[in-house]
Amino acid sequence: MSNSNQAQTNAEVAEQPQQQSKPQVLEEDDEFEDFPVEDWPQEEAEQNAGSAANGGNEHLWEESWDDDDAAEDFSKQLREELKKVEGSN
Amino acid sequence: MQLASDFRHAYSIASGPALAAVLTPIATASNPQRLRSFYEFSNAQYLTKDLQSTLFHGKSIRVSKSEQAAWVDIFAAYWEAVGEVLKYEERYPGASAVDIFIAWKKVSNALIKGYAGSNGLKAWTLPCLYTVGKFLRTFAIKADLEVAARGSTGYGFQDDLAVDVEKNANLEEAARIINRMFTLCLSDRAPIEESRKWGIYETTNLLFKTYFKINSVGLTKNLLRAINAQSHELPSLDAFPKSHIVTFEYYLGVIHFLDEQYIKAEEHLTTAWQMCHRDAHKNRELILTYLIPCHMVTTHTLPSRQLLAPFPRLEQLFRPLSNCIRRGDLVGFDQAMAAGEAEFVKRRIYLPLERGRDIALRNLFRNVFIAGGYEEPKDGQPAIRRTRIPVSEFAAALRIGTHATNRMGVDIDEVECLLANLIYKGLMKGYIARERGMVVLSKNNTAFPGTGV
Repeated sequence: MSNSNQAQTNAEVAEQPQQQSKPQVLEEDDEFEDFPVEDWPQEEAEQNAGSAANGGNEHLWEESWDDDDAAEDFSKQLREELKKVEGSN
Repeated sequence: MQLASDFRHAYSIASGPALAAVLTPIATASNPQRLRSFYEFSNAQYLTKDLQSTLFHGKSIRVSKSEQAAWVDIFAAYWEAVGEVLKYEERYPGASAVDIFIAWKKVSNALIKGYAGSNGLKAWTLPCLYTVGKFLRTFAIKADLEVAARGSTGYGFQDDLAVDVEKNANLEEAARIINRMFTLCLSDRAPIEESRKWGIYETTNLLFKTYFKINSVGLTKNLLRAINAQSHELPSLDAFPKSHIVTFEYYLGVIHFLDEQYIKAEEHLTTAWQMCHRDAHKNRELILTYLIPCHMVTTHTLPSRQLLAPFPRLEQLFRPLSNCIRRGDLVGFDQAMAAGEAEFVKRRIYLPLERGRDIALRNLFRNVFIAGGYEEPKDGQPAIRRTRIPVSEFAAALRIGTHATNRMGVDIDEVECLLANLIYKGLMKGYIARERGMVVLSKNNTAFPGTGV
């Protein structure tokens, strides 16, 4: 009996801070944070000077169409779909 | 007294960050009693005198009379604010976040006043302005939350509209004071080496954050106009500390992004991305949240696995959509948009992502072109792709892409409309020969510009 009571209070205690802090967490979420230091050398930046300009950036993006391996599959699918249409005509 | 010796030390080495640390209204891990011991060192009656003698006793530092007076005023206001902070932290009856904000406004005003005139505080002390401004904003947000909480429990009959207008009242007031800090930096006429102009981007950043928070992004335009009008007198951007510039470029990028100016947005966000500190995970994630949709709109390319790998949240946000775009899966795309809608809208990226549907459609139609294979080669000429494709093949592809069942046919008019749209948007090159039910695509690897065919 006392056990279940305790468990209940524990659950309540655990729930409360969550409810209280939730809206604040959401707000903080979106905010650009202050940097711990004011300045840093380019070597510590995301893209260091060596790979500047566009060169170093290429691997970050990829083309938006499928590679040609998948083209085979699609070609088959397309032929089947066209047959269906012809069949129904 | 620790605070006074920290102050004298910061002054003797002319370190702005060290001085700003003295004015920070929180205790530190190394000195948890920092605020308490400062508050207890004096009382309201002897405060000014005590400050004068402890801050400037001895001959260790040389500070002009007018600067001394300014610091005494600033620390007197700080002492009162610290009193409110301590009361609040100790849940003293009657303590409130609003009172902390009111007291901190006085600190801000005393500091701003300290910079006035030619004998005012020197430019190296600018980090104090950033710190005081930052906490002004923090305390205002807390005060607004407290007012809102009070309103929701106590006065049940308030007009909803009035509550809405006033829900950011303190933060709006903070914005006006931070705006004075901004002007204080921008209008300084001192030679550039000792000018407050070095504080222009950091105070702008603080205002950007504040305007975003009170949903007045439009007000950022006034700041940008003021900065542009002075641009010939400002040092170039790369002369400023990277933290100032990365934050500034990030917000500039987001401002253009919200205006749907994706090319400009991308430029600023790319600068922010490249200069951002490698360990600033959260900030890098925020930059990419906007850079990825920009990149999709301007170049039709998608984030690589390598780019998303360190950011599981972004992976979750963009991966399903990217996969559907790549496969030309229109139904999957619509489902991914619907599934992510709440998150996309909250992050204000729904609009550009929606444009991804055109890219998915382009990829689907491109597959038709690839599947069409090559014409019979003539007299040893290199093989060329079949460029005359029946509209019915595109219709069939659309049935695949939309997972159409046998019963639901695809209307040929609709297919023609989609084709015309892609051609109009430059994603496809060619024309529709309606009378023959054919699409005639451009030759020489220009049918789907930028995709190699």
